[in-house]
Amino acid sequence: MLQIRSLSVAYGGLHALSEVSLDVEQGEFVTVVGPNGAGKSTLFKTISGTVAPVSGEITYKGKSLLAVPPGERAQHGIAHVPEGRQVFASMTVMENLEMGAYTRNGRARWHELLPMIFALFPVLQERREQLAGTLSGGEQQMLAIGRGLASAPELLMLDEPSMGLAPTVVDAIFERIHQIHREHGITILLVEQRVAEALESCDRGYVLETGRVVMQGTHNELMADPRVKRAYLGI
Amino acid sequence: MDAVKWFLIDFLQAFAAGLLVGGTYGLMCVGLGIIFGVMRVVNFAHGDFMMLGMYIAFYLVTGFGILAFMGPYAGPIVGAILAGPIVFVIGWLLHRYLIARVTGVRVVTAEAEGHYAQIILTLGVSLILQNGGLILFGSVPISVQTPLSRESWELGPVFLNQARTVSFVIAVAFALALYFFLGRVRLGKALRAAADNPIAAAYVGVDVDRSHRLAFGLGVGITAIAGGLIASSQSFQPYIGFDFVVVMFAGVILGGLGSILGAFWGGLTIGLVQQMSTLILPYQLQNTAIFVVFLLIIFFWPRGMFGRTWERA
Amino acid sequence: MTTRALHGGAWKQYGVIAAFAVAYLALGLLVRNSYYQLIMTLVLIWATMGLSWNMLSGYSGMISFGQAAFFGLGGYTMTIAFVKFGVTPWIGIPLGVLVGVIAAVIIGIPTFRLRGHYFALSMLAYPLAMLYVFEWMGYQEVSLPMKRENPHAYAQFADPRSYMALAMVLLVAAMIVSLHVERSRFGRSLLAIKQNEPAAEAAGIDAPRQKMYAIMLSAAIAAAAGGLYANVLLVVTPQTMFGMLVSAQALIVSLFGGVGIFWGPVIGAAVLVPLAEILHGELGHIVPGIQGVVYGLAIIVIILLAPEGIYWKLRDRLAPVRRPPSIPRVAAAPAVAAKPPGDAKPVLTLDRVTHAFGGLKAVDDASLLVKAGAIHGIIGPNGAGKTTLFNVINGFLTPATGSIRFEGAELVGRKPHQICRQGIGRTFQVVRAFPRMTVLENVITGAYAGTATDAEAEELALAALTRVGLADEQAYAIAGGLTTKQLRLMELARALAPRPRLLLLDETLAGLGHDALDEILQIIRQVNREGVTIVIIEHTMQAMVKLADEFSVLDHGRLIASGPPAEVVRNRAVIEAYLGKKWMDRVADPVT
Repeated sequence: MLQIRSLSVAYGGLHALSEVSLDVEQGEFVTVVGPNGAGKSTLFKTISGTVAPVSGEITYKGKSLLAVPPGERAQHGIAHVPEGRQVFASMTVMENLEMGAYTRNGRARWHELLPMIFALFPVLQERREQLAGTLSGGEQQMLAIGRGLASAPELLMLDEPSMGLAPTVVDAIFERIHQIHREHGITILLVEQRVAEALESCDRGYVLETGRVVMQGTHNELMADPRVKRAYLGI
Repeated sequence: MDAVKWFLIDFLQAFAAGLLVGGTYGLMCVGLGIIFGVMRVVNFAHGDFMMLGMYIAFYLVTGFGILAFMGPYAGPIVGAILAGPIVFVIGWLLHRYLIARVTGVRVVTAEAEGHYAQIILTLGVSLILQNGGLILFGSVPISVQTPLSRESWELGPVFLNQARTVSFVIAVAFALALYFFLGRVRLGKALRAAADNPIAAAYVGVDVDRSHRLAFGLGVGITAIAGGLIASSQSFQPYIGFDFVVVMFAGVILGGLGSILGAFWGGLTIGLVQQMSTLILPYQLQNTAIFVVFLLIIFFWPRGMFGRTWERA
Repeated sequence: MTTRALHGGAWKQYGVIAAFAVAYLALGLLVRNSYYQLIMTLVLIWATMGLSWNMLSGYSGMISFGQAAFFGLGGYTMTIAFVKFGVTPWIGIPLGVLVGVIAAVIIGIPTFRLRGHYFALSMLAYPLAMLYVFEWMGYQEVSLPMKRENPHAYAQFADPRSYMALAMVLLVAAMIVSLHVERSRFGRSLLAIKQNEPAAEAAGIDAPRQKMYAIMLSAAIAAAAGGLYANVLLVVTPQTMFGMLVSAQALIVSLFGGVGIFWGPVIGAAVLVPLAEILHGELGHIVPGIQGVVYGLAIIVIILLAPEGIYWKLRDRLAPVRRPPSIPRVAAAPAVAAKPPGDAKPVLTLDRVTHAFGGLKAVDDASLLVKAGAIHGIIGPNGAGKTTLFNVINGFLTPATGSIRFEGAELVGRKPHQICRQGIGRTFQVVRAFPRMTVLENVITGAYAGTATDAEAEELALAALTRVGLADEQAYAIAGGLTTKQLRLMELARALAPRPRLLLLDETLAGLGHDALDEILQIIRQVNREGVTIVIIEHTMQAMVKLADEFSVLDHGRLIASGPPAEVVRNRAVIEAYLGKKWMDRVADPVT
């Protein structure tokens, strides 16, 4: 479904990504892990169009994604749950979800998606008239994911959902993500720093380090491999 | 005892006048508030778009007499309202061809230095509008004639000028309409989303650049309506925009930068301050009172009434 | 290029200024029409106003829309002194300058606390408030009396060209002042503040004080221009002295002609004022607002096409930026022998330091010891609070609790520039260089702290550049063409220039390729061997593991481990922080 080939991104002389290639097949759960500065967020931003690559190609469902302007990528079925959640703080939970359904597909399927989102995250239903800025970090993360789901995506991309959250909350979030994949068959691309949480539910994974893919493999292969640790801690 | 009673009546009168004037100021400020809230642009020329609204209302009613058929009561009101869409179009075009060049998503997410170019550009626009207005309209002060400006309703001991009261009602009506638009209509919510978090808005599929264009047009259009309404209560000339710019900025900052509807309350408060300052200050220093309040707000309460208490992530 | 050369250029500039003045006045002698003579005088006055704006806004980046405040105060002081007290303008104008400077101090103290558009908007409000006040006081229109007997004693002249000469004297004075400011450490400090205020403060520049000097100087120039203007026109109204067009013109002639260079306003005024005035003269009765339209168009065109002004656009075109030669590869140094574990005393101690933003603890009860002569790494996952920690040490943030001692002295409560002078240097992640200045000129701002003369500062800057390997011809290369690695080295040199004993490096290695990384690592090691204690924040673990003697690991603001790299990296808490709790649980033996 999503194919990235030899993607290179540079910011003013700094190479954020060098020749990165990865694949996401329909229905898969793919994870990209790596330490800070590895280029994970850059990868994300390139896929959603905030950043333009120096070279390389991104193909989505057979067509080049780079040709599509960033604002329209959502219409193509790609939902982006950004790093740091980025909820609309001055709008209510309900309004945030409504904004998620801004796309054509989202609007069409609103009536089936809303109950699904509330079933996954009951706390959102409880707090639906509350201003998003007053929610806790974990609740905001759930809201951001819900907002992503509201666009009726085929590909759900999550950028470091664990960032800034307490460990128990992180567990809950990852369970939900796993549930989304299991029960609703949405293709998921997850970028994460916390290795085990990220690798736990995935089908396949990639390890990024200083802008390069240094390892890839299936869930089992990566979980057992000590080299993953070296990528993070240098030893 | 009598002195107290007279003071009380004066007080109420000033309060009532302040409220009436404040409603229109509130609408004016909302226009600026939209532009600042969505685009983070300090629109120097905002007062001059209001001036445009005043002149458009004038020409529709008196100048070209297009609305003469509506009679002297309805004409000025409709003229004021029609000024809105006309200035909206002008603003829309101005944004498309000029202002968009120095604003946009990248400026919104930049630090303070990024605002330098757009504030200077709007200064240029302001100079052109003011002086262009001088060329086109001449410098003789005029106003939109309506019999309402000479009549007052009595509410107890207080006199409510009819023109100002009608303006107040219409201003509040438009403010409510805007509230409805922003709160319930999809496009309006998209504007709020773009104001709140342009990055996330882009992610959910909102065309942030088009939102900016809409916000600019809407912002100047709404202020033009407020101008059209004021036009029947006082005389104006092409430089009047500048008299109101500080009023507008004071109102927006008092209401809280980033809160579109907070701007309405801010403008209302400024109207009250202006009118009630006449209780203790000479009439000519009305505007100085506003400046002082403006400076006090900037120094001691920059977040204003409804300002964001959380930073944009 | 020695200090003499840096200042030697001033003589050349004096020559050009003199030539300009002579040529202009000669032209003035040729012009017979008194209206054109007046225009020529006005050009000089508005050029002076432009220089006043430049002094405040062009050099230090604080965009002011309020120069009219000082202009008007100068004009009215002179006028009131003349009309009410019979004081001659020869005294009245300097008096106006004094009033202007006092006003600048009164305005500056509160207003400098504001940033960005808040600053611009409040500067806008001052002249307008004054306008209303003067109108209310009854000064709608004040005419200066003509003194038939003894006009020269009252600065009144029959020949309008005398006013031109007077205006030229003022302009030349303003130009010379500007020239000196530009070349002095004061001017460089202002530029540094404009470029990156925190970095300037960390380099020892007392930003609030410098900004105050700038506004005082700016006000003095504007007030003098206002006084002269009133003297020339012999009529003052609140609108012409405090009105928006005054502030706008000051701003526009500078922006149009060139920001931050004293020729800029002169060019701008020379082009725009005659244009506007002549159009006004010819067409004013048909199109009464033509002046404003001209200025408005000028500003729009310039901001779109040449945002820094004509001068820079032309200069860039005529003298393109030369790419500096690449730095020759530093020869591979022999492997560094492990430093003997010494009884090295702690040079920096943090004791239970806490800093919170709102409810969130960015630094939570952190205690840390940095030994003299060590390279101490600070690592931690994203958002752990590392840069906040630096900001607290540096003085940009005041911790809620705790103490920070450097060589025994308490740092908490001191300002960043004071901390710099105590011997702590710092680099910043985002390197903002002055693209049109040389590497040396960029670095020299770091050397001002604690040096008395510019010559000393230059020596220190050159020494620092040599330490990082940017000596000789690289030092005189234009900074605009540097590579990322060279920029990092330049930033390092700037921090090293005041010869700090402790250096805080904030992600100096981020994103560098392998070769560049190695080179910079070597340079850092060399600097350390020369006796500088280093604390470095980095993400790239591979490099850090090789570089640092000791690590401290931050997670969620708390220090969770400290010690030699090999130990820290095996610490369970650290592994958990980086790879997550589940990793610890799942993987059989994470500590291998």
